[in-house]
Amino acid sequence: MEVLTVLVPYILRGLSITLEVTAIALGFGLFFGAILAILRVYGGKILSRVIGYYVTILRALPHILLLLVIYFMIARVVNLSAFWAGSVSLAIISSAYQAEIIRGAIQSVPGGQMMAARSIGMNRFKAIWYVIIPQAFRHAIPPWSNEAAIVIKDSSLVYILGVPEILRQAQYYSARTYKPFTAYVTVAAIYFLLTFITNRGLDAVERRIRIPA
Amino acid sequence: MSFLDYLQIALPKIWIGLQITFKVSLICLLIGMLIGFPVALARVYGPKWLRWLVTAYVEIFRGTPVLVQLFLIYYGLPQFGITFSAFTAAYLAIGLNSGAYQSEYFRGAIQAISSGQMMAARSIGMTRMQAIRYVIIPQAFRFAIPSWSNEAVSMVKISSIVYLIAVPEMLYVAKVLMSKYYNPMQTYILVGLVYLLVIGAMTLLLNEIERRTTIPGLETARRGS
Amino acid sequence: MPKSDKLIVKIENVHKAYGREQVLKGISMDVTEGEVVVLVGPSGTGKSTLLRCINQLTVPDSGKVWVNGVELTNPKIDIDKARQHIGMVFQDFNLFNHLTALDNVLLGLIHVLGMKKEKAHDKAMLELKRVGLANKCSNYPGQLSGGQKQRVAIARSLAMEPIVMLFDEPTSALDPELIGEVLTVMKDLAVEGMTMICVTHEIGFARDVCSRIVFMEYGEIIEQGNPDKMLNNPDLPRTRQFLGKISELH
Repeated sequence: MEVLTVLVPYILRGLSITLEVTAIALGFGLFFGAILAILRVYGGKILSRVIGYYVTILRALPHILLLLVIYFMIARVVNLSAFWAGSVSLAIISSAYQAEIIRGAIQSVPGGQMMAARSIGMNRFKAIWYVIIPQAFRHAIPPWSNEAAIVIKDSSLVYILGVPEILRQAQYYSARTYKPFTAYVTVAAIYFLLTFITNRGLDAVERRIRIPA
Repeated sequence: MSFLDYLQIALPKIWIGLQITFKVSLICLLIGMLIGFPVALARVYGPKWLRWLVTAYVEIFRGTPVLVQLFLIYYGLPQFGITFSAFTAAYLAIGLNSGAYQSEYFRGAIQAISSGQMMAARSIGMTRMQAIRYVIIPQAFRFAIPSWSNEAVSMVKISSIVYLIAVPEMLYVAKVLMSKYYNPMQTYILVGLVYLLVIGAMTLLLNEIERRTTIPGLETARRGS
Repeated sequence: MPKSDKLIVKIENVHKAYGREQVLKGISMDVTEGEVVVLVGPSGTGKSTLLRCINQLTVPDSGKVWVNGVELTNPKIDIDKARQHIGMVFQDFNLFNHLTALDNVLLGLIHVLGMKKEKAHDKAMLELKRVGLANKCSNYPGQLSGGQKQRVAIARSLAMEPIVMLFDEPTSALDPELIGEVLTVMKDLAVEGMTMICVTHEIGFARDVCSRIVFMEYGEIIEQGNPDKMLNNPDLPRTRQFLGKISELH
């Protein structure tokens, strides 16, 4: 269908935005999430509790609500574009989920590993860096792959803020051509491809770095 | 106006919105279950062509955003003359979406108990169908309860996107209040607190149900974060 | 066998409780250079806890511990530095699963002692050779048998050139036919003069190489003495009863 030669490129104009939003959200989410997780596991009782509440609340609220609230809070303080406000909001949301994933991965490393590392004279930091994290990393990949797919799909939410990602492109197209189904099916197909490639890619990574046993 | 005055106006409206949220969540959860369980059975025990079909359904609905699915059904289908009310579109889209996820939880439960139990059932002379009906299904159901509880809570969160197609659930009510009273911060906090309370209560309730219905001694399926 | 009178480990009146349970009730013990001390006793009576109190992996509630003249229970002490000279071998091996056998031994040398890669490599291979596993240096823990894992664990500790080696039930998690290879390594160490404190049920090992058997029960030292006395002619009937039982089994 010639519609596809017009439609697909039009929608793909939003693809770079979609990918950027996803990358920012996942990337910062990983950074903040890792810090939160490590602080929670190794930071002592009070810190652990506080972070626990923070993470639980963020994970309990609808993503759309959080997106709107954080966007609103950011907009009051700083003059950020919708793109950045939306990306940062998604990053904050994702960091809570990633904090839990990373925490689970760290705690799945047997306690004896830390004992052994300390027993040869490593301090806590070295033990975490050289012994715990390399092992936790491998455990974290499957749930992280799941989270990556979720963030790709959540990027569609910034549509609400007017960000010109692929869903908004599809909406513009359907408004102009009165072919909404075609437009939305195409967008769905693009999302499907993105999540598919991501999951398969991370599966391959997991297999590659698997520890021989 | 003071926060308390605002509360007096806002809370009744939010309460109505909350009821709609519950209604949508519940119906979508049930639709998801009605679709998910048979799909799971089909994926484990069905003939190849059927397995292929339902796997495609599951992969597609899990691999695409629920927002896009919603728009497809509500805005897209009219292209072919099929129109749904906002409510119906919501039930369909989120129900189908949930069905895909729930089928994964049920499938995990079925597979976890399947081989040993199936062997035992067949060894006393049951047919495959009998084994599935009397041995597998009752256990799979209870095995899947923790994951299913997660899904129930998720429903409440996900249902909020339907405000975009003007279903008057809680977030929609919040938006209306904000545009009328120009106090987004207060309204958001209020609605946020209500969501937290609801989800907190649901989690406690579901934990209790889980505690009482799981088969003692059986390791239960746990959904990852 | 004792090399000199130099005090390597001194434990003074150590107490430890977990919740309401008193696991160590005022233990005092001196270990001199070259001594091989074997701790025996019923399970759960604090032997492993005592061992971990020596390198402060478990911090005692009260009491003091000195290793090589340094008081480890003093919070101002750099405990990580002290641990470099104390070797510990665990019941569950605790090899670093993501590293090869060689890398397991290398890790401490490079990142704790700051050795240069080449020198560390030579040292690591030397230790692996010493425990008979040079040919397994590129294998991961998942590819090794229990006995091999434990020997790598011993090599890992030995590479740090410890002045005392602590063994926490090193053979309890091993299949019977794999115990021998680990005990052989431990016996060689004892003969070479390493100061060792071992929690074990292997009475054969105790009979052959240790210089002192300490019988502990319910957090207290009941009796201690040289192997000949403890195994053949102990003072207390309880000692006779317990050691007699495990002599039969091992």
